[in-house]
Amino acid sequence: MILQLKNIFKWVQQGGQRVFLLKDINLEVAEGEFISIMGPSGSGKSTLLNVIGMLDDFNEGEYNFLNESVHTLKEKHRANLYKQYIGFVFQAYHLIDELTVYENLEMPLLYKKHSGSERKAMVADMLDRFNIVGKKDLFPAQLSGGQQQLVGVARALIAKPKLILADEPTGNLNSKQGQEIMALFKELNKEGVTIIQVTHSEKNAEYGKRIIHLLDGRQLKHAG
Amino acid sequence: MLKNYFKIAWRNLLKNKGYTVINISGLAVGVCCFLLITLYVKSEFSYDRFHSKRDRIYRVWQHENYGPKEDFVNTITPVSMVKVLKNSVPEISEGTRVYRFNSLVKRNNNEFNEAVRAVDPSFFQIFDFELLEGNPSAPLVGANSIVLSASAAKKYFGLENPIGQTLELKFDEKLKFLEVTGIMADPPQESSIQFDLLVSLENEADFFGERARRSWFNVVVESYLMLMPDQSVGQLEAKFPEVIKQYLGDNFEEDTFFLHLQPLTEIHLDTSLPAGLEPISNPMYSYVLASIGFLILLLACINFITLAVGRSFSRAVEVGVRKALGAFRKQLIYQFWGEALFITFLSVVFGIFLAYLFLGTFNDLTGKLLRLDFDAGFWAVTFGLIIFIALIAGVYPSVILSKFNPIEVLVRNKIKGSSMGLLGKGLVVAQFVASLVMIVSTLIIGMQIDFLVGKDLGYQKDAIVVVPTNMSGDEADTFAALYVAELQKQPQVIDACASIFSFVENAWFGVGFTDSKDVYREFVFNSVDARFLKTHNIQLVAGRDFQQGNISDAENGVLVNQTFVKRFALENPIGTKIDKFGVTILGVVKDFNFQSLNHRIEPLLLGINPAPIFSNAENVESQYISQPRVSVRLEATRMTSNIAKLKDTWEKLNPSQVFEYTFLDESLASQYKNEQRSRTIVKIASLLSVFIACMGLFGLATLTVARRKAEIGIRKVMGASIWDIVTMVSNDFLKLVLVATLVAFPIAWWAMHQWLQDFAYHIGISWWIFALAGIMALCIALITVSYQAIKAAIANPVKSLRTE
Ligand SMILES: Nc1ncnc2c1ncn2[C@@H]1O[C@H](COP(=O)(O)OP(=O)(O)OP(=O)(O)O)[C@@H](O)[C@H]1O
Ligand SMILES: [Mg+2]
Repeated sequence: MILQLKNIFKWVQQGGQRVFLLKDINLEVAEGEFISIMGPSGSGKSTLLNVIGMLDDFNEGEYNFLNESVHTLKEKHRANLYKQYIGFVFQAYHLIDELTVYENLEMPLLYKKHSGSERKAMVADMLDRFNIVGKKDLFPAQLSGGQQQLVGVARALIAKPKLILADEPTGNLNSKQGQEIMALFKELNKEGVTIIQVTHSEKNAEYGKRIIHLLDGRQLKHAG
Repeated sequence: MLKNYFKIAWRNLLKNKGYTVINISGLAVGVCCFLLITLYVKSEFSYDRFHSKRDRIYRVWQHENYGPKEDFVNTITPVSMVKVLKNSVPEISEGTRVYRFNSLVKRNNNEFNEAVRAVDPSFFQIFDFELLEGNPSAPLVGANSIVLSASAAKKYFGLENPIGQTLELKFDEKLKFLEVTGIMADPPQESSIQFDLLVSLENEADFFGERARRSWFNVVVESYLMLMPDQSVGQLEAKFPEVIKQYLGDNFEEDTFFLHLQPLTEIHLDTSLPAGLEPISNPMYSYVLASIGFLILLLACINFITLAVGRSFSRAVEVGVRKALGAFRKQLIYQFWGEALFITFLSVVFGIFLAYLFLGTFNDLTGKLLRLDFDAGFWAVTFGLIIFIALIAGVYPSVILSKFNPIEVLVRNKIKGSSMGLLGKGLVVAQFVASLVMIVSTLIIGMQIDFLVGKDLGYQKDAIVVVPTNMSGDEADTFAALYVAELQKQPQVIDACASIFSFVENAWFGVGFTDSKDVYREFVFNSVDARFLKTHNIQLVAGRDFQQGNISDAENGVLVNQTFVKRFALENPIGTKIDKFGVTILGVVKDFNFQSLNHRIEPLLLGINPAPIFSNAENVESQYISQPRVSVRLEATRMTSNIAKLKDTWEKLNPSQVFEYTFLDESLASQYKNEQRSRTIVKIASLLSVFIACMGLFGLATLTVARRKAEIGIRKVMGASIWDIVTMVSNDFLKLVLVATLVAFPIAWWAMHQWLQDFAYHIGISWWIFALAGIMALCIALITVSYQAIKAAIANPVKSLRTE
């Protein structure tokens, strides 16, 4: 089992009132799973994903990640944990405009103590694998949305994470581009990478082996 | 529309409080410096302009040339010159002399040593000094009257009415009782003629000896002439040789003696002529100060530009919408320029307030008495300043801002132009260049002054007190000798001596003579006593010191310094008789710096008896009044009580006269007053420019970080540590500072090299000063930038990555 959420609550204080963003979430994710999170806008999908990715805190409950209890870990330790095991893919790609494709891919490695030649090999690997060798010297602005997201996925994968978190990875893409990304996810999943994605599209959700439905921060029990 | 603009401008100011504070305070500091410096420069350039007949008033200066090394220029002139010129040149309508002499002035028990001015009656017709009481056409009534300045009147008479009362003057062993016949307002600071007490020159014999009154080779007074209206100075000067020839008769030599006229209003800033009775100033000071003021203002404007351009992206959407809704580019330019004008206006108001607040400090700094008058001139300057700043600082940003393309901004969500374009970078570099040059200058000027004050001068200056006798003639010599003898008996006195000039006087007698080969030569002379060397710990390198009580030593024995021996090529100096003066060299002293370190050591001759030197020299100059001065070396402990004992002894011997004294070391340090002043000014200027540059940098860092928030978020999510982010953000800025150091150092080196050339003795410019300044600038920049960088680095990346 890669991670386990037990009775997770998250709220914010608004005008003296508690507004719940997540209510009593319970979730177990085994290694090699492919999970889709669905729900209407504002239901807390991104919030949940950020909590899983340790980018955001929660107020109550337990979170265990690879047998470490995240809720008791110190900030720094937690950061090391997600740096080592988690890769992120964003809806808006979030590539750095001033860096080329090659440099964008290389960036996460710079923060992880890899030698220069190692980095070169890893980036080359990824370029190869995603068929974007020809684009390596282009800037994000010179790529289509699908190509940008391809780079985004490649960047998430380059440090060989165990878990990929993708928040509406196809949200800005047309359906054909979206299909390609989904196919890619499926392939990765086959290779053993655990994937959790947020999506609005039923079709894309079907790529997952399990679907979790959220409504107003609460998990709908009947599915999954 | 205007209301809408104003609303947006106001909300923008409030919304970006930090940005507003940086802009307004930076500009206000700039405005404050600029205003104060304008006051200074205006004062310097308005000397003597208050006289209504200023265009017709000239001061006479003379040029004597008797050969290559005998070229004399003087603004002090002979006693009889005004009268001679006026009588023989009809174009001269009036003339007056101004003579300055020292006198004891006494009323009841109030006695002061004062510099009194004696003038001709026409003084009051030529000049427009304001008369408060007395006869307007002739405030001085005869030879026995005196006119006081308002502050002198207050000093001697307090609240009493001084008119008709009597003051007692004692000078040249003469005692005079003068009746107060007029009160004048204190002369303005911007006057080349200053006075507290004015007496009449009607009775010349009271002031000048027989020879001085006739000779044209004895210079004593300033001569002012008022010409008839519309005269050409050139034509007039051409007439003078004929007049001189007539007057000098047999003494006249063709092409040796020239008279010229200097316009009254040019006196104060003309350093090509020597100063007369009042100090003049170098216009260089005004220029340097004006440049500094302008520079600081410019630095503040640069902040305005870089910040406005830097944050332009935050207004891009507004621009896009306005354009999409039909605004023309011109209208947008006006809008943004209006905002700049508004900020400028606030800054100038605040700057005026600051100037008002710091006027006193500035006056202390410049030694002036400036006032901030809210007159027409002031408002003109203020108005000009607002327009200038709004133009410099407002135009470029409004052009940039108005350039955004609405489709790019609104549809493609793309905003071009980074917060640090080439221009922005260039401006930041320029700011740091200015700051670095000033930091280096501050360091070097400081070191040079420490060097000057601390240098071994070849004599001991610590624990020495100099007491001027303020007397003249035989009486003074007798008293000085008696006082020294009394002091020698006291245990706290290590040594004491009397001499005409002490080390407090920065120039001793300059003596000129023609040697046996008919060459004009010069040396410096001082009349001392047998204890002079011992009191000051001056080393002998050959021969012997004066012997106490040795009659021939006192008559015609002299000591010379090493430079004298070298300059006059004396092979066996000891025992050599200098024929021209009839004196014999007893000993050679090691060279010591008897003048400030702006000067090299010149040949020096010390003698007890000045008569053989004075009577055989062709030319004797002195800048200070000749009178015996007593130098006392005291035990360094318990200085206050030691001084009290000096005073007691003085009062026992001379109860009627005030005891004055100076500490030699303090007085020597004050020789470098100008340098100290430069140091303070440059120090303040560098603090201000560093402050302004840092505020700009801080603003830019804030903007950069805001712009790169998303990127920083991504990097963090990708695993960048706080340290990675901080170095990434700071690096860009530090590179700019490094570039600035490369540009600044040659400039600073050149400027300081020039400045140091004014000193005969100066420090070298060592590399570590530059290293220190560079490190200082880097650290300051790093601290400024890293605040924002760290803040960005520890922020939660989720917030910045949330896509709306
Ligand atoms: N820091 C916060 N403070 C207050 N409310 C918040 C905060 N973060 C999220 N919310 C609210 O929590 C709810 C869930 O937000 P979340 O972004 O998780 O929704 P979502 O399911 O991802 O929606 P979408 O499909 O539109 O992306 C929303 O109503 C949002 O406004
Ligand atoms: Mg979402």
